[in-house]
Amino acid sequence: MAIITISRGSYSMGKAVAEQVAACLGYTVISRDLLLDASTRFHVSEIKLIRAIHDAPGILERLSHSRQAYLAYIRAALTERVRDGNVVYHGLAGHLLLKGIPGVLKVRITADLERRVENEMQREGISAQEARDIILKDDNQRRGWTKSLHGVDPWDSNLYDLVVRIGALTVADAVSFICEAARSEGFRTTDKSLQPVKDLALACRIKAELVEEFPTVGVTCQYGNVIVYTREKGTGGSRLHKRIEALSKEIQGVFNLEVHSSENFPADAV
Amino acid sequence: MEPLTLNMMLVMGMIALAIFLFVVEWVRVDVVAILIMVTLPLLHLVTPKEAFVGLSSNAVVSIIAVIIIGAGLDKTGIVNKLVAPVVKIAGNSASRVVIAISVTIAIISSFMQNIGAAALFLPAIQRVAKSQKIPLSKLLMPIGFSCILGGTITLVGSSPLILLNDLLVPFNLKPFRLFDVTPIGLALVAGGIACFIIFGRFILPQGVVDDGGHADASAAGEDENQWGEMYELTTPEDFTHYRDPVTVRDLRDRYLCNVVAMTEPPDYKTISPSADMALHANSEIVVYGRKEDVDRLAAAEGMHIRDRLEAYKMDLEASQSGVVEAVVAPRSSLIGKTLREVNLRDRFRISPLSIYRQEETYRAKMGEIELQVGDVVRLFGTWKRLKALQREGGLLFSIPTEVEEMRPEKAVWAAIWLATALTMTMVFNIQLSVALMTGALGMVITRVLTIDEAYSSVDWRTIFLLAGLIPLGIATEKTGTAAWIAHTVLNLIGTVPPIVLLSVIGVLATLFSLVISNVGATVLLVPLVVNMAIAAHADPRMAALVVGLATSNSFVLPTHQVNALYMGPGRYRTVDFIKAGTVVSVAFLVVMVAMMALFY
Repeated sequence: MAIITISRGSYSMGKAVAEQVAACLGYTVISRDLLLDASTRFHVSEIKLIRAIHDAPGILERLSHSRQAYLAYIRAALTERVRDGNVVYHGLAGHLLLKGIPGVLKVRITADLERRVENEMQREGISAQEARDIILKDDNQRRGWTKSLHGVDPWDSNLYDLVVRIGALTVADAVSFICEAARSEGFRTTDKSLQPVKDLALACRIKAELVEEFPTVGVTCQYGNVIVYTREKGTGGSRLHKRIEALSKEIQGVFNLEVHSSENFPADAV
Repeated sequence: MEPLTLNMMLVMGMIALAIFLFVVEWVRVDVVAILIMVTLPLLHLVTPKEAFVGLSSNAVVSIIAVIIIGAGLDKTGIVNKLVAPVVKIAGNSASRVVIAISVTIAIISSFMQNIGAAALFLPAIQRVAKSQKIPLSKLLMPIGFSCILGGTITLVGSSPLILLNDLLVPFNLKPFRLFDVTPIGLALVAGGIACFIIFGRFILPQGVVDDGGHADASAAGEDENQWGEMYELTTPEDFTHYRDPVTVRDLRDRYLCNVVAMTEPPDYKTISPSADMALHANSEIVVYGRKEDVDRLAAAEGMHIRDRLEAYKMDLEASQSGVVEAVVAPRSSLIGKTLREVNLRDRFRISPLSIYRQEETYRAKMGEIELQVGDVVRLFGTWKRLKALQREGGLLFSIPTEVEEMRPEKAVWAAIWLATALTMTMVFNIQLSVALMTGALGMVITRVLTIDEAYSSVDWRTIFLLAGLIPLGIATEKTGTAAWIAHTVLNLIGTVPPIVLLSVIGVLATLFSLVISNVGATVLLVPLVVNMAIAAHADPRMAALVVGLATSNSFVLPTHQVNALYMGPGRYRTVDFIKAGTVVSVAFLVVMVAMMALFY
C-alpha cells in the first residue's frame, strides 16, 4: 500500500528493478508514460516536457518561466497518478516531485560505471569511449537539472531511504529489499497518510492551471483548503482573482480557495 | 553669517541620523528619541541638565495631564453618551451623517487623544452605515480626517501644538494660549468636511452599499455569510471510538471552523479553548464559521447542528462576549510576527477568526501569516479578555461601550474639573501645564478615576518621544545650526514676502510629517523656521504655528494612527488615501495660510 519512487542513472538497471518490484507487490508502474499523460492533458508537446526534465536549463530558459510551467504539468500528472497509492514511479526526481509527502519510499539504484558502459555498448553497438561519454554527459545533465530546480544533488544518499548499488548485489536482491521495505510499518498507507498526497495533487493541479498566466504563484493545500500565494499586492478584482474564483467552482475537492499576498511563500508551496 | 563650526556639523549629523532612523524604523521612534537624548550630552552639544529638561517641560507635563483628563472623561462615559444623540441627529443622508459625526469627533479630539475618539465612534458609524445602507468607505475617511483636524482646534489637541510653547522659550517669544489656534482649527475642520461634501464623489472610493464586505457580495445576507456565524454542535456518543483524537486545531485546518467554546465532561465549559484540546464524545462545541463549512464539518464528523445556541446561550451572550475587528497598529510589536507566535488563544483565551488584508479574507493557515500594518484581525473572546488584549496595545479596536466598567455618576465631577482647568488657563492666565495638572488631580481626588488608572493611561512612548526630542531642538538653536541653515536657505531663495514664506514652511512641514513622526518634524523645523522668519522679517510666532499645525496635515498616507484604524474597516487602499488625502492636504494649506493672513 505504498508509494515507491526509484531514482536511477541511465543503464543502472533501475527500470528492471522498478518493474519487478511492481510485479512482486502488484503495484502499477509509472514512468515516461507520465509525460504522455501531461502532454495530452495540458496540450504541450511531449518533446518539450522531456527536455524540461532532462536537460539542465540554458541561460535563456532560466529567465523564462516555460520550464516552470512544464514542470508543474508533470508534477500535476504525477501526483494525480499516485494519489491512491500502490505505485512505483521510476522517472526522474520522483522523490523531489513528491516532496513533502510522508510515507513515500525513496529508493536510488546505482551501478558502477564500467558496468553501465558495458550495457550501453551492447545496446547501442558503440565503442567503450563513446558509451562512457554518453553516460557521463547524461549523468551531468540530470545532476545539473536537479540542482538547478531543487537545489540538491541527486547523488546525495541523504535524500533516500534506501540506496542499492547493483554489482555485487543483483537486481533480484534489490527487488527483495525494496519489497520488504515497502511492507514495513513506516510505509503503510492509511486514509490519513494519503491525505497529504491528495492535497499535493490538488495543489499541483491548481498550480498547473495557473502557471502559464501566473508563473510566480505558489500553491498549498490542506484538507482541500487551497491557498494561492502571490507577491503582488492588492489582488482583489485582478485577473488572478477572477481566474481563481472560476477554478474553485471548476475543480472538484476544493472546499475553500484563498489568495494570500505575502513576500515569503511557505516551504511546502508548489 | 557665522561660519560652519564642528558643533554645527555634529548637530546636523544628529538630525540626519534622527531622520534616517525615523524613516527606516529599525527601532521605534521613542527609542530614537532616547538615543538622541543620551547622545547629545555625550557629544557636549548640550549640558546634561539640558538633555533631560524635556522630561520636566511644560509640554510633557501638559500631555500627561491631558491624557489623564481624557481617560477620566472616558471613564464617565460622557463621550459615549454623545454617540446616540449625534447619530440620531445625523439622520440617513450620507452628508448629514458625515457632518454631524465629524463635527462631534473633531471637538472631542481637540481635548482627547484623537485615536481614542476615533475608536469610540467606529462601532456607531458601522451601525449607521449598515442600517442606512451607506457604504462605510464614504463615511470613515471624512470622519477620520475630521478627527485628525480636530487636533488643531486647541493647543492641547495634538502633540506638535502642545510642544510649540516649549520650543519658543529659547527665542523669548510670547507663548500661545489654549484657544489661540481655535479660529484656524475650526476653519480647517470646516474646510476638511467641505472637501468631502463637495468633492466626495470624485475622491472617495465608490464602495458598494453593504456593511463593508467584499465588493462582489451583493446581498447583505451573503455578506454575513462571508464572515461566518456561531453554531452550536453536539458530538455523538461514539465520537472518540477507535480513532485518533480530534482537536480544536484539526477542525480549523480541515473545515476552517474555529472552536470558540467547548464542554469537557462532566460539564466544564471552556471559552476559546486551546488549539491542542481534544473534543469529547457526547458534548457540545460552539464553532464560528461559514454555513457551508459547518455543514461539511457536521456531516464528516457525524455531529449534529443545533438550531440555536442552547448550552451556551448564557455564556456567549452579547453582553459577555463577541467579535471585534482589530487593526494592527503602526509600530505595533505584532508586525512581522505570525498569529502562532502571538498565541492569542493561550495567552488571552481569544480566538482569531480571520485576517483581512488587501481586500482578501484569509481563513486558511492563519497561524502562519506574518502580520502587517493595517491587517484587520477578527477576534472572538469575552469582553473581559478582549479588554486585557486591548490594554497590551498593538491592536486597535473598540469594545461596545455598554460592557465597559463606567462611572457615569462621576460625569459631573469630570465636567467640573475640565471646566476648572480651562478657566484657570483662560481667565486667570495660569500656565497650561499647571492648569491641566490641577484638573487631572481633581479628577483623581473626586474619584473619577483612581491614581493607578491615571498612571496606566499615560503612554510612555509619547512622553519619551516628546522629552527626547526637545534637547535636539535646544542643540540646534544653541550651536547656531538653526540660524546657519535658515540663512543658507534664505540666501538661496532670496527675499520672499512673508505669506510665501509661510506657505513654503507649511509645505515643508507637511512633507516632513509624512516621512517622520509629527513630533520629530516639529522639533526639527520650529527652530529653523523661527530663524528664517526673523531673518526674512516675518512673524516668527506665526512661522512656528504653521509648523505646529501643518504637522497634523498627514492625510496623504495612512501613517496617522486614526487613518490606520479606519483603513481596515473602510476597506481603503493606500491609493485611496493618496487621492483624497492630496485634495484635503492642499485645502488644509490654503485654508491655514488664508486664515493666518486674515486673522493674525
